[in-house]
Amino acid sequence: MNDQLYRLVYISRNEITGDDETVHCEIEKILSVSRKNNAIANISGALLFNAGCFAQVLEGLHDDLQNSFERIQCDSRHSNVIVLAFEKMAERRFPSWSMAYFGADSDASAKFGDIMQQSELDASLLKGNQIFDVLNEHLLDAEPSSV
Amino acid sequence: MPNEVAQILGNAVHLSSIGFAVVTADGVVNYANPAFCEIFLISFFETHVGCLLVEYPLIRFNSSISKLKLALNCPAPAFIQLHVDPDLMPLTLDIAALNDGARVMVAKRGQGSQIEFEPPNGPYYRDHLTGLGNRRFLDEILANWQPNSPNALSLAVIMIDIDRFKKVIDALGHCAGDTLLKLAARRIQSAIREQDTLVRVGGDVFVMLHTIGLQSIGTESVARRIVELMGRSFLIDGQQVNISASIGIAALNHGTDTITDLLRHAEFALYKAKESGQGNVRFFEPSLALQALVRYRFEIDLRRALVLKEFIIMYQPQVNLTDGSLQGFEALIRWQNPARGLLSPLDFIPLTEETGDIHAIGEWILHTACKEAMSWDGNFSVGVNVSPIQFESERIVDIVSNVLANTGLPPDRLELEITESVLIKDFDNALKQLWALKSLGVGIAMDDFGTGYSSLSYLNRFPFSKIKIDQSFVRGESSPKTRVLVQSIISLGATLDIITIAEGVETQEQYDQLAADGCKGAQGYLISAPIPTKAIGKFISDFRNKTT
Repeated sequence: MNDQLYRLVYISRNEITGDDETVHCEIEKILSVSRKNNAIANISGALLFNAGCFAQVLEGLHDDLQNSFERIQCDSRHSNVIVLAFEKMAERRFPSWSMAYFGADSDASAKFGDIMQQSELDASLLKGNQIFDVLNEHLLDAEPSSV
Repeated sequence: MPNEVAQILGNAVHLSSIGFAVVTADGVVNYANPAFCEIFLISFFETHVGCLLVEYPLIRFNSSISKLKLALNCPAPAFIQLHVDPDLMPLTLDIAALNDGARVMVAKRGQGSQIEFEPPNGPYYRDHLTGLGNRRFLDEILANWQPNSPNALSLAVIMIDIDRFKKVIDALGHCAGDTLLKLAARRIQSAIREQDTLVRVGGDVFVMLHTIGLQSIGTESVARRIVELMGRSFLIDGQQVNISASIGIAALNHGTDTITDLLRHAEFALYKAKESGQGNVRFFEPSLALQALVRYRFEIDLRRALVLKEFIIMYQPQVNLTDGSLQGFEALIRWQNPARGLLSPLDFIPLTEETGDIHAIGEWILHTACKEAMSWDGNFSVGVNVSPIQFESERIVDIVSNVLANTGLPPDRLELEITESVLIKDFDNALKQLWALKSLGVGIAMDDFGTGYSSLSYLNRFPFSKIKIDQSFVRGESSPKTRVLVQSIISLGATLDIITIAEGVETQEQYDQLAADGCKGAQGYLISAPIPTKAIGKFISDFRNKTT
């Protein structure tokens, strides 16, 4: 299992409170810390965020993901973490970056927000792949402009 | 330095409560003030000057002797902490080099309210798996704990138990269980303050010591945070693992008066939390201790009951609905306790299943019922209830065949009554034993049918001799819906060629209805309440006189 790649998809409820600037600032912090940590652990992926929730895809080796996920689980800036998929994968779908941030005004968040609203955070209504496809579609579009 | 200043300084150092010493880099003591001597358990009046510091028993005891040597040899200022038994407050040492190569040492007990309890290194006080302190460490802290600062006026014990831990091990193995404990330990640790202590006391139980100060930081909110964290998914061995944690809390001056009671009370609260489901937090209340005591006495009395011959068996007659003849009796245990009166199986059998006493009691029932049935005038059947727990030991087949051999009861007169939970627990094993029992020639009845899952596949997988229709259906027979259900169970029995018998028949109307619907047998108060063994002879002859 040492060189087996895994993919983790989860959604969670955003618990960051405060005005737009505070929220924005916290998100920037999350992103910069994640970018750094994930680059070291060789984890790639994507983070989606809007006012209500986070959604994240992480790709990497089993133990690296486990470590990273434990950090994520203990973070009080979100709650109700629901794992939608944790599975083996052949190759990375997001190989060229470690994280991407989509603010509340992006298409992806709008689309994702709709799904979340329909499902009221009920994971059983969402399939991991559905989320992944939404993430994938929009993040690949955005790839040239990202870091 | 003027003499006057030197004298003031000398006096101050001598009288100070801070330990102060000047030693060589090799640890030879040149000067030590009384406080320093006291801390290191060196007698001030003995000639401590010229002694080697590392040779003092207090230092030798501790494994950090090499750390101390290292710190003394270090030309830069060093800071080390020693954890010295039996006093668990750590010893903080500041060591600085003077120009002439000598070392100045300042020694203090503890470090304010910070890092009060850090388990000493070494396996004695540590849980090897999680790296936390262990039970021994916890006992030491509790034995030595005192309210010592405005931040630590009182102490709470938060006892955390992982729900469904055994299920994780069953499904994913012990390795995954170990990983889960490690990850859980880290999560809990992330929720606690620096001055609190987390230990693993064994298995899947963690204990957190939570100091309560003037500004109480809610013990309960810490507990809820832990429950919340533990409820979040873990990723282990390529799987997503979901568990929950239950928590019991006991706090000094909040229902618990002495430190020695803290752990026990937290455990009571934890039981209570688990009783009301998973992921609960419960505070200890004095009534819980009372409940536990009552239960404890009950358990003790129950344990003695078999030897003191306080159990008796009552027999409830069963009749054939087709011709009204007497078929047999169901053996029903009662506990006749001088102080408690006559207790029914529901009052005590569940507890014997928990304690394991059911094995001995179950064997006694089988033996007694078969022996007493031999004294009856007629070849009546005797039904004996067998607990699912009795099937776990794999001895049930031997026990039954021994009882038959010892009492001489023909196997076809014995009918074992089981509930479907026997099959739910470990289907393959239960089925194997049921077949072995059947090959002895005894009947196997499915008891309480209609409640629970009532899975038809069970009826299909094993040739039961009888289906006993639960009394709740018989009592509700007047409602059209229930009647249809009873009718379908009866026709199910007819189709599978299994005899159906209704329990709890209380009125003539129910009796006639069941007979009309094709039910084969009945038992209940209409026919007779359970009767003691010595009344059976008379019952049988009365019954014969009535029907002839």
